This record gives sequence, structure tokens and C-alpha cells, in this order.
Amino acid sequence: MSRRILIIDDEDDIREVAALSLETVAGWDVAVASSGAQGIVRAAEYNPDAILLDVMMPGMDGPTTFRELRRNPLTARIPVLLLTAKVQSNDQRRFADLGVEAVLFKPFDPLTLPTQIAGILGWN
Amino acid sequence: MFPGDTPGAESPDLSAALEQLWRKFLPQLEERIAVLERAVEALSAGRLSGTLQADAHTAAHKLSGSLGTFGLASGTALAREAELLCSEDWEIARDAGARLAEIAAQLRAILANRG
Repeated sequence: MSRRILIIDDEDDIREVAALSLETVAGWDVAVASSGAQGIVRAAEYNPDAILLDVMMPGMDGPTTFRELRRNPLTARIPVLLLTAKVQSNDQRRFADLGVEAVLFKPFDPLTLPTQIAGILGWN
Repeated sequence: MFPGDTPGAESPDLSAALEQLWRKFLPQLEERIAVLERAVEALSAGRLSGTLQADAHTAAHKLSGSLGTFGLASGTALAREAELLCSEDWEIARDAGARLAEIAAQLRAILANRG
């Protein structure tokens, strides 16, 4: 079954590799946004099945973007997976406490990223 | 190829497309290393600004996420070390500049080796 994923990340290389992975390996439909503010608008328009959200972005960071998504009735129920290169355990606990579905780590393996997401969201 | 690096382990379609993205983003990755080199240079000259340190921290952070995604796990490990050295929480120690210079040189070699 095809899924719709929104990737919100300011790093264009990460955004493009993740999009390539989800489209090529899984055959999912992907939309992208390069900032938290753009992602909030895109999420309401695109109504994705899940959002892959970068943590560290200039302007509106990932946690703030997540809270804004939760405030909007149009996007409040969309599962969000945080994507971060931070590996320190206190950061991981802080992100997990936000109420996101999961925290995924950069670097990721483009070959297995869709399986990882599907497993977390019960799409198998 | 460095230990732990695994480019080419993907399916043919994904592998070819990833190779295209690698070529597209190689200049960007090189520029991030150049930021680290500029920080080293400024540090050795005793004129490292807070802005350049923050830029170096950001560059190292982005490299740590990107390199492993392109199969360069050794690059991610080095970039994480650079990120800690450039942490915005403290000033970079003078002797850390030598290690940061080594890391930048190793990262250049990793990029060149992958081609």
C-alpha cells in the first residue's frame, strides 16, 4: 500500500537521500519542506500518513514544529518521527518525552529506512 | 575505503541514484570541511570568533549526519568528534586545534577516497 510521507529538514542532502529512499525502496509518495514553518503549512495541505521531522533547524526547530503540528486540528493526529544526529542520551530522552512516535538517528541507511519507519508505525 | 564504510551495498537503482546525489552534494560536503579548516586556522592565529566556532560546530554536526548516510561511517565518527571539539558550550582549547586539523584532513581523505 502506498503511503504519503512529509520530510521536514533544512539539510538538502539529507532531505533528498531520505526522499530517494522512501520513493525508490518503498514506492511511497513523498513531499518535502526545508523549514519548520514551511513544513507546518505543507502538512496541512498534503495530509501525510507520517512526518519525518529534523530536530536541529534554524528558525523553528523540530520540537517547536512538532508542538505547532499538534496544536492544529488538521495535523494533530499525524504520526511524527524525529530525525536527529544527536546521540547523547539526555537529548534522546528529551526528544522521546515530547510525545513523538519515535526518534530516528542520522546517519540512516537509505536501504532500510522505509522498513524502519513501517515497523515503528505498524505498516508491515 | 575506510573501516565501516559501505558504499555500494544498495540495490542497483538506489545505488545509482545515491551516486548521483553524492556527486551533487560533494561540493557542499567539501565546503563544510573548509569551515572546520577555517576554524583551525583562526584558532592557531588566536582570532577564532564565536560566530566561526558556531559555524564549525554546525558544519561538523551536518557532516556527522550526512557522511554515514552516504555509507561513510568513519566520516560520521570523525565529524562527531569534531562537533564535540567545537561545542558552543566552551571555547576550543588551543591543543584541540591540532586534533581538529587532523580530523579535517582525514575527512578530506575520506571524501577523496570515495571519489
